[in-house]
Amino acid sequence: MIFADYQLFSNALLLLFLPSFEFPFRIRVWEAVWRSLRTLKYTGEGISAEKWDGVVFVTTTGICDNEIYHYQLNLQENISTRRLTKLPSNPKNGAKFSGTEVALSTFDCIDDLLAEITLFLQKTLILKIPKVAIELAFEHGVLPGSQCENVIVANECDPLPFVTSNIENLKSGLEDYVLKHGNRLDKKCHSCFPSREHLKVGSGIAFCKESHRSTGHVMETVIIISELSEPSSTCFRTFGAKTEVLYFNDFSPCLISQSSLNALTSIDWKSYGLTLKSAIDQDGHALLEWEHLPPNAHIDIVLHSYHKQYPLFLLARQKTQFDRNLVKKAVKQALDDLKEKHAGILLSAHAHYAPDLARTIAGLIMSSNDSDFQGECFSLLGLQSQEIGGEIVGECIKEKIITVIEMNDRKPQRSREAAPFLFEDDCFQEPDFQDEEYEEGEEAYRFL
Amino acid sequence: MEGKRSSSQRGDLLRKIREVTRSILEDLSNGRSPSVSIDRFRNYCTNPNANCYCSSDFSKGKEILTLQRECHAHRLNVMLRVLLIVQQLLQENIHGSKRDIYYMHPTVFSEQSVVDRAINDLCILLQCSRHNLNVVSVGNGLVMGWLRFLEGGRKFDCINSLNTAHPVPVHVEEVKDIISVAQYILVVEKESVFQRLANDQFCNTNRCIVITGRGYPDVPTRRFLRLLVEKLRLPAYCLVDCDPYGFDILATYRFGSMLMAYDAKFLRVPEIRWLGAFPSDSENYGLPNQCLLPLTADDLRRTEAMLHRCYLQREEPHWRLELELMLQRGVKFEIEALSVNSISFLSKEYIPSKIQGGVHM
Repeated sequence: MIFADYQLFSNALLLLFLPSFEFPFRIRVWEAVWRSLRTLKYTGEGISAEKWDGVVFVTTTGICDNEIYHYQLNLQENISTRRLTKLPSNPKNGAKFSGTEVALSTFDCIDDLLAEITLFLQKTLILKIPKVAIELAFEHGVLPGSQCENVIVANECDPLPFVTSNIENLKSGLEDYVLKHGNRLDKKCHSCFPSREHLKVGSGIAFCKESHRSTGHVMETVIIISELSEPSSTCFRTFGAKTEVLYFNDFSPCLISQSSLNALTSIDWKSYGLTLKSAIDQDGHALLEWEHLPPNAHIDIVLHSYHKQYPLFLLARQKTQFDRNLVKKAVKQALDDLKEKHAGILLSAHAHYAPDLARTIAGLIMSSNDSDFQGECFSLLGLQSQEIGGEIVGECIKEKIITVIEMNDRKPQRSREAAPFLFEDDCFQEPDFQDEEYEEGEEAYRFL
Repeated sequence: MEGKRSSSQRGDLLRKIREVTRSILEDLSNGRSPSVSIDRFRNYCTNPNANCYCSSDFSKGKEILTLQRECHAHRLNVMLRVLLIVQQLLQENIHGSKRDIYYMHPTVFSEQSVVDRAINDLCILLQCSRHNLNVVSVGNGLVMGWLRFLEGGRKFDCINSLNTAHPVPVHVEEVKDIISVAQYILVVEKESVFQRLANDQFCNTNRCIVITGRGYPDVPTRRFLRLLVEKLRLPAYCLVDCDPYGFDILATYRFGSMLMAYDAKFLRVPEIRWLGAFPSDSENYGLPNQCLLPLTADDLRRTEAMLHRCYLQREEPHWRLELELMLQRGVKFEIEALSVNSISFLSKEYIPSKIQGGVHM
């Protein structure tokens, strides 16, 4: 009866996940399907309630299963126990394979929906989940098999080592994403990125230890800073210089939670030389806007929150708190990792003063009318006194200032913040009277 | 002699500037953050027990600027830029104003007060007064009366036209050959009062020197007043509005300001006497109620804060009592209010009677 009804639909979509994972992962895929479709349903404009009844068919089998299981999932069913209906299964006849197929049909024009699902799956590929191939196909028309088109076929064949950690896969996936200008291109942009060396990559992992309160909650993050020397006019990112924070929850693209966004805003970006202007949720995209970012620089951030144990039962409040703490920890770790690997980047904000300070100190030396003093300064800087120009002296001093700031940045936060005050200032604030400081007519006097 | 002294002072300051630069370079070359130690000064605190050391001119602590904090890095950046300008001024022996300095890097300095603070920090660091850095003011003060002097060879003959305002000299250190037959110095807060006295030919009938800082007195006005008091050994009386601002201006002449506490010993005039207007004057001179204005919330806040200044309790308790009285009455009035019945009341009666009767504190 159900199938007879579906013969009436004009379009059908098939999502194929082919994992060879054991049981828990299969549930995750299923969960991912459930969440993904709900996400699409609530955020996308592709599916209207009139054109789709919210029913999807899921066919799945594990590598060790002897049968192929069929389920019907009704996303519009509010009572959770009725949401899933088990349908008759098929025998595998001894064949060894695994995979999950998700299918839905709609009367609606498929283009918007297809675009949205494509975007969604392309995002999923950032995770580079090992041994998972993804295929998206759609059929147009009443007869099955007619006008069938494969929209996306992804089988991760990158020569990553066979056993790689999730974070290594995530790094590789985000690199690909950045090289494709945030998936705006199908292929890597070789003109902007002749090699991966243009990308500065840092990663961080934070987790809650398994205890009676938590269940091995992991937060992984990868941050990539890319700087293009001469970006072509056609190579731009969807959100310009803003950073879209990609968020994954249990191996599935997801809307970022408010608590995670709050955690991002609470990070002391300034200590990494970054000034966060705003963090907003724009139509489901978490965007970070920076101030004073070099014109051709871009920052990409991906967060992946998942649980080692599955299934998981966490109170919403607990999860929020975990998320907040873990996001902060993981992002800070990734920023520290970047600093560790790449000298001279993400220096604390006051490094901005280094060129100015260096120029001024060089000016004090070069404009002095005491040549002995100048000679002393050159020797302190390790420079030969012959034919030294102010620019060379300035550059040398700048390097030294940056080295000092870099060394200080590496110190633990606590020792860094020990304010060098030698007395406790019992400074009190009186209402500010005008003072003799405003003596040169630059301020209007009340008494005139 | 003067030329030689100022030349050796300049040489001394330039040597200190080189020491600062060298010390910064040494720190950087050794992989250390440069640290610049700035003594902190204050001329009063709000310690109610008055067991403080504010009356001494010693520093009350130190602040060490390093590259470890962003605000310090900014201050160092500003301070060194000003130091570079000062080095040039001293080497070429030319003068510049604070405003000139501001306009050399307006985007870096962002506002005048940032430059002012840097100049103060440099004075502390190099242990000198502002004029030693060849940083001068345009000059805001006015003077008239029984006085004649030279400033850098230029003659100021106020006696020649007793009731004409002359600008207070900017290079006070170059003032010499001061001649006066005045019996006292009258400091008035406002230019309007100064002009009233000039119009009334006040100095014709009163052997005095009249000075105004036109509001809060600038450094040259205070240094000039101090020089006159020291050289001529004349009593100095101060006439201010009976409101919190007037009182604060009086305190600035008497004790110096907090911002320039490091140099207070050269700027304050401890001998100055408060001639008026006292809160009690409103009754004594029968001021009508319409001349009395209620203290605003801001006035109340400022007055209460001033009452806590330790130097008042310790050195001028009578002033403090009058200030308390102002607070209790909740009203203020301007000096001009005393002219309610006669426009020349101030010059003909109020000031002469107070000085002759010794009605000051």
